[in-house]
Amino acid sequence: MEIIPQIVVSGLAEGSLFALAALGIIVIFNASQIVNFAQGAMGVAAAYVAWFSLTVLHLPFVLALAAAITFGFALGVSVETLLLRRLQDASTMTQMVVTLGLFMAILGAVGALCGYNPRAFPELWSQHSFEFGSVILRPQDTLNFAILGTLAGGLTLLFRHTKLGLAMRAITQDRFAARLMGVSLTRTLALAWGIGVALAGATAVLAAPVTTLTPGMMDSILIYGFVAAIVGGFGTFSGAIVGGLVVGVIDNLVKTFLAPELSLTIVFGLLLLVLYVRPNGFFGRRVAQKV
Amino acid sequence: MVSSAVESRRRFSLGVVRPTLLAPLGIALALPLLVRFNAYFLGVAAEFVIFAIVALSLDLLMGRSGQISLGQSGFFAVGAYTTAILNARSHLDLAVALPAAAALAALSSLIVGFPAERLRGHYLGIVTLGFGVAVAQIALKWSALTNGDEGVRLETVRLFGVDVGAPLHMYYVALAVLVATIAFSFNLARTRLGRAFAAVRDSEIAASAMGVPVARTKMLAFAISAALAGVAGGLLAALDGFIAPEDFGITQTLLFFAMVIVGGLDSIAGAIGGALIVEIVSQIAAATNGLSLLILGSTIVVVALYFPSGLKGIFARLAPDAER
Amino acid sequence: MLACRGVSVRFGGLVSVDDFDLDLPKRGIFMLVGPNGAGKTTFINALTRLCPVAAGSIKMDGVEISNVSPDQVVEYGIARSFQKAEVFGGLSALDNVLVGLHAQTRTGLDGALGLPTARREEFAARERALRALEEVGLAHVARSRASRLPYGYQKLLDVARALVSEPKLVLLDEPFAGVSEGEVHTLRDCVRRAGRERAVLMIEHHLELVMDLAVRVTVLDFGRKIAEGPPAAIRRDPAVIRSYLGTRSGTS
Repeated sequence: MEIIPQIVVSGLAEGSLFALAALGIIVIFNASQIVNFAQGAMGVAAAYVAWFSLTVLHLPFVLALAAAITFGFALGVSVETLLLRRLQDASTMTQMVVTLGLFMAILGAVGALCGYNPRAFPELWSQHSFEFGSVILRPQDTLNFAILGTLAGGLTLLFRHTKLGLAMRAITQDRFAARLMGVSLTRTLALAWGIGVALAGATAVLAAPVTTLTPGMMDSILIYGFVAAIVGGFGTFSGAIVGGLVVGVIDNLVKTFLAPELSLTIVFGLLLLVLYVRPNGFFGRRVAQKV
Repeated sequence: MVSSAVESRRRFSLGVVRPTLLAPLGIALALPLLVRFNAYFLGVAAEFVIFAIVALSLDLLMGRSGQISLGQSGFFAVGAYTTAILNARSHLDLAVALPAAAALAALSSLIVGFPAERLRGHYLGIVTLGFGVAVAQIALKWSALTNGDEGVRLETVRLFGVDVGAPLHMYYVALAVLVATIAFSFNLARTRLGRAFAAVRDSEIAASAMGVPVARTKMLAFAISAALAGVAGGLLAALDGFIAPEDFGITQTLLFFAMVIVGGLDSIAGAIGGALIVEIVSQIAAATNGLSLLILGSTIVVVALYFPSGLKGIFARLAPDAER
Repeated sequence: MLACRGVSVRFGGLVSVDDFDLDLPKRGIFMLVGPNGAGKTTFINALTRLCPVAAGSIKMDGVEISNVSPDQVVEYGIARSFQKAEVFGGLSALDNVLVGLHAQTRTGLDGALGLPTARREEFAARERALRALEEVGLAHVARSRASRLPYGYQKLLDVARALVSEPKLVLLDEPFAGVSEGEVHTLRDCVRRAGRERAVLMIEHHLELVMDLAVRVTVLDFGRKIAEGPPAAIRRDPAVIRSYLGTRSGTS
């Protein structure tokens, strides 16, 4: 029983990644009503950029992370501007198809360019661990918390106190009215996608030392990210963060006490249970259809 | 004004033999001769036939019933493992193992089919995606049942007692199943149940007003689709003689997805054509796995943006009068 | 045949239908009218169980149906068309109408297998469906995809689909809206014929088209019944005139 605090803390650290993943998905969804199934793949591409910066260019960790985030941002903006803009009025199915196509294409491109052999990703921060009583906080855990805190904080600041944030909130609520107020839909959407994919890049970079660098590295995290987003109601940032942290803790509990290797399956099963009871997640709203 | 009605009465038939099918069927039957019984080509051809069955199963679910499914590889895997394990452990004949594969796959579909009523669009996509990944994880980790990453090796594959392990034999077995699947899909589309699937896809509200039980219909669509994919999985296990978890997973699901998107939703010919294209690209780009994904992924994006009806749209322009 | 007592429908705090009574016999054409937002479609939705009934009872031939699920409504002999033609876009017109027979046919997987009983049922169903299309003058587009039909045809298709199952009560929600001049005549005849064999409850704004068809008109305003009687009397009723022309605060 004494290990429970440790499990919870480690779970929270793992959950920070899920929270970041969910945040990226939600930022994009709120702005454009599109679920980016390629989120994981885009993150992987950014992780490879970071790897390159670290091992070939020998840049310090902070710059490598910045490179990944910048790359992710650019990728998100390009994808939105060049491809998704045409799909604003298309059906859910079509939007899903395009993001899945991107998933495949990016995954394929990364595999073709860099091969499928897993590469070791260098330790990001080799400071020592912190100890709080019986709980050990490994450098990786601290880093996860720190990055989540920084990015989530930055995101909140952006949304609450900047014009861009206001614009993004406006188009989430009522696109037509927002445009009447002078919000540039195209610019806002592009930036939303940029931010969302940048978050995916950050997630992947944080995950890479553990999962090793390989095209499929984000497959599981993508699922966890979606689970977190759904649990959080697919709407608010706080929902996404809480969802991610909760999923992380539950996953770690399952790994320790139930079945270390089937945790994703079990978490998935739990998601189905949640959806059965609350089809819109915990913080979501029911959407009615008018006849 | 009445002539079209008379036309409709006359042309309706639940038959399978139609002139346009004879040519492709003839080629398919004669294929082994055409490739001089080359075992490698026959293996590839058999694999294509098997994937065509999966494409049809996915088209039934996504195209006809409008249910997004990003986990078809999960049903495929359940069928493959069922057949392989029954064969390896109990030496069961395909005549038993394949129906068992279908049944288990259909059963597993309840996991996603049951909540499908309450889940719309994105959520269903995410749940089915999770399903596919979960099945792959179970295949990898539940070593007691599935041998984990070592995979399952099949013993002699028999159908009604006859050894059909060779690519030539499996090609014909798979082809028979494909033809049956085509006939099944064709008839399904033109009868009450197929219409119910399409009704649920197009307007759940109107469908329930007509008495269609929407939740049950969605579950049934999942079950039938899963059963077909499961049989295909069993056929693949029999063909390859060996299966391992890496054969099933997100990549496989994405390939199946590409088949029906490129082929055009709600089209039998489209699904088969899509499977053919994906198979060809996979073969050509086989050297670098990533390349085929890149090509197909880009194709999907282009198709979705510019040719939303896929191959089906192209076929329709060539033969506007043909029914599906 | 149909007996509604005290039916109320609420959405959150808003009362859309308020203590509404309605009786319909087995045959005849009856109209439900009222200004926009009066609650007419909401009532139909409640009757067909697309939205919950907050209070009151709905009895069909003595059986309480205010609790059944939407797909069971047709088993009690109630069929409907929709304000915005909810056709099955990916199906042909004929297939659309065939779905209207779903509750009266039984073929399932046996149809996919091509079994003889399935074929027989299918042939019979197609006959009925074609006749329904002829009723509304759409037989010439039987094989056309519904999504490609002009909106007026889609509305007619919606009606044909409702009538094909020969229901005891058919609910038509603004069937004439969007229908072109040429088709109005056919539709009027169709409605008139239907009224001889079953009960037809019609919501309609194009009052001139249908006032002479109806045997009784019920008027709703703000969810409440404000008048009920033969068309001529309703036309002169001061409460009705006031609700249509008078000052109203806000709702639409």
